[in-house]
Amino acid sequence: MGIDLSDLVDTGGSSQKKRIHVDEELYKLELERIFARSWLFLTHESQIPNPGDYFSTYMGEDAVIVARGSDGEIRAFINSCTHRGAKVCSAEAGNTRAFVCPYHGWTFGTDGALRGVPVDKAGWGADLDKSKLGLTPVAKVESYAGFVFGCFDKDAVSLKEYLGDLTWYMDSFTARGGVELLGPPVKSVIHCNWKVPSENFLDGYHVGWTHRPALSVLGGPMSQIAGNVDLPPDGGVIASTKYGHGVGVIYDAAPGLHRAPDYYMWLMQNRPQVETLLGEPQARLYGSHIASTIFPNCSFLHGTNIWKVWMPRGPREIEVWTWTMVEKDMPADLKRKIQKEAMRGFATAGTFESDDADNFQSVTEAARGTVTRRGALNATLAQQYDTRSDVLPGLVSEFIISEAGVRGFYSAYKDTLEAEDWADIKRRRADRG
Amino acid sequence: MGRDVSHETYSEVCRFYYKEARLFSEQDYRQWLDAMVDKSIVYFLPIFEERYRRDRKAEPEFPPFIYNDDFSDLDQRIQQLETDLARRIDPAGRIRHLITNIEAFEGEAEGEISTYSNFLICRNRREREQTILVGGREDRLIKGPDGLRIAYRMITIPQRVILDSDLYYMM
Repeated sequence: MGIDLSDLVDTGGSSQKKRIHVDEELYKLELERIFARSWLFLTHESQIPNPGDYFSTYMGEDAVIVARGSDGEIRAFINSCTHRGAKVCSAEAGNTRAFVCPYHGWTFGTDGALRGVPVDKAGWGADLDKSKLGLTPVAKVESYAGFVFGCFDKDAVSLKEYLGDLTWYMDSFTARGGVELLGPPVKSVIHCNWKVPSENFLDGYHVGWTHRPALSVLGGPMSQIAGNVDLPPDGGVIASTKYGHGVGVIYDAAPGLHRAPDYYMWLMQNRPQVETLLGEPQARLYGSHIASTIFPNCSFLHGTNIWKVWMPRGPREIEVWTWTMVEKDMPADLKRKIQKEAMRGFATAGTFESDDADNFQSVTEAARGTVTRRGALNATLAQQYDTRSDVLPGLVSEFIISEAGVRGFYSAYKDTLEAEDWADIKRRRADRG
Repeated sequence: MGRDVSHETYSEVCRFYYKEARLFSEQDYRQWLDAMVDKSIVYFLPIFEERYRRDRKAEPEFPPFIYNDDFSDLDQRIQQLETDLARRIDPAGRIRHLITNIEAFEGEAEGEISTYSNFLICRNRREREQTILVGGREDRLIKGPDGLRIAYRMITIPQRVILDSDLYYMM
């Protein structure tokens, strides 16, 4: 049973077969061609500030360690001993001089190099070439605005080029004083395909409907969109970028979902500085709510202060890891207030997240049906608004209730799955820039 | 930890928790909030980090949590359920709360009781989705004119990765 990719996703990304959310074979291909080739979020520099600090995470289903070496450099390696394969680190974070394998005691430095093995000379004589037995490095590790990403494919474009037009949108809240993540992440299991939440963070359409219960008790300007009674008062924009990342901007709506007047004051107070630094359009974004997915599986919310990774765990399961994102120079008290609001909305008992999770599972569960999965998913909403803008980078829809971001995601999904290598990905995506 | 409470108080504490478990099983969170929760409540469910025992990295400065609610936060959560708009809970799921290992001690202030208890919650929803959650609670109860009320609750769940898609229910 082969996979006919051309049958699964149409060229513009506006239609997909439901099978994409349940198929085992396709899932394996996604791990090979998407997760082993795309830039994947690892951690934020603020989480591993000192030499010897490390964080354990996953790239696709591959366990990796991200560590800051004694030279201050951040590296990442596969968390599996080069001897008999056990994980050399079972802790999720910490500070260490070395990773010692629990099985036979092989010891690796924070730079991944093999430092020592028990019974070295007595057992191997001079035959063990330790220089060839370091932990397998992640081919590329780079940062943008302190966000550390890794990529298994040495031929990939740089992280900055990969993020592309998305950096323009991210800069609006990272360029002034910088941001940091408050960890450790909250982690939970959702029985859904990883693409469902990834596309959901690009979907302005569900907000008024799925989140009607939360929005209606929240009050404030955002409550107007509960039940789609009204469109967001100041409008918004959806943009999708070359490699499948997207943003949904609700203008002037930060902090839309937080009951935190001091956060609003903070944004107002710092907006002129953003304007001086970047100009008016990006300063406006700073005071707006931005939802985004960085292809393939990392999402964030500016204005609701959330950073997430949807870790694939088979076609029908994910782990969601959630951090609070704050600006570095905020007073500690404001960080605490924002963390409380962010966790309340989007952690495991989240007033928003709980309703999302139920939908994620429902989409995935329904697609198990043999006949069901032959059917199509529709993402054609507001296609007539897809355009280019003189100001806003990317493919843009100036109508916020649009599936333009979802289309952009699946268009990159299809190209990344079909491409032979990174040169091919670049070729296929050339006209999307 | 203070002295054990009297037999009489212990039995009052048990009756309080059994009633609470019944209200939770009936998902009657409004009555729970009205009758059993003090206005000063801090309802807290922190998460923890899996570190090596002898790790030397500083503890997180802003440790996250799943719940850090005050009275009005709880009230708003319950209001959200009461909107009758949440499709997640329609049809209603089924939930059963068991309470065990109840210990009760004299608190620091007059009329306060410190307790430990464990719970087992079995939630079943959407045809056959079922999760069993075991956890512990550390409470501070205060004795008012109309009986006991919860002034502080810290919930611990011995799962690093929560094996459930949401914990939007009281525990």
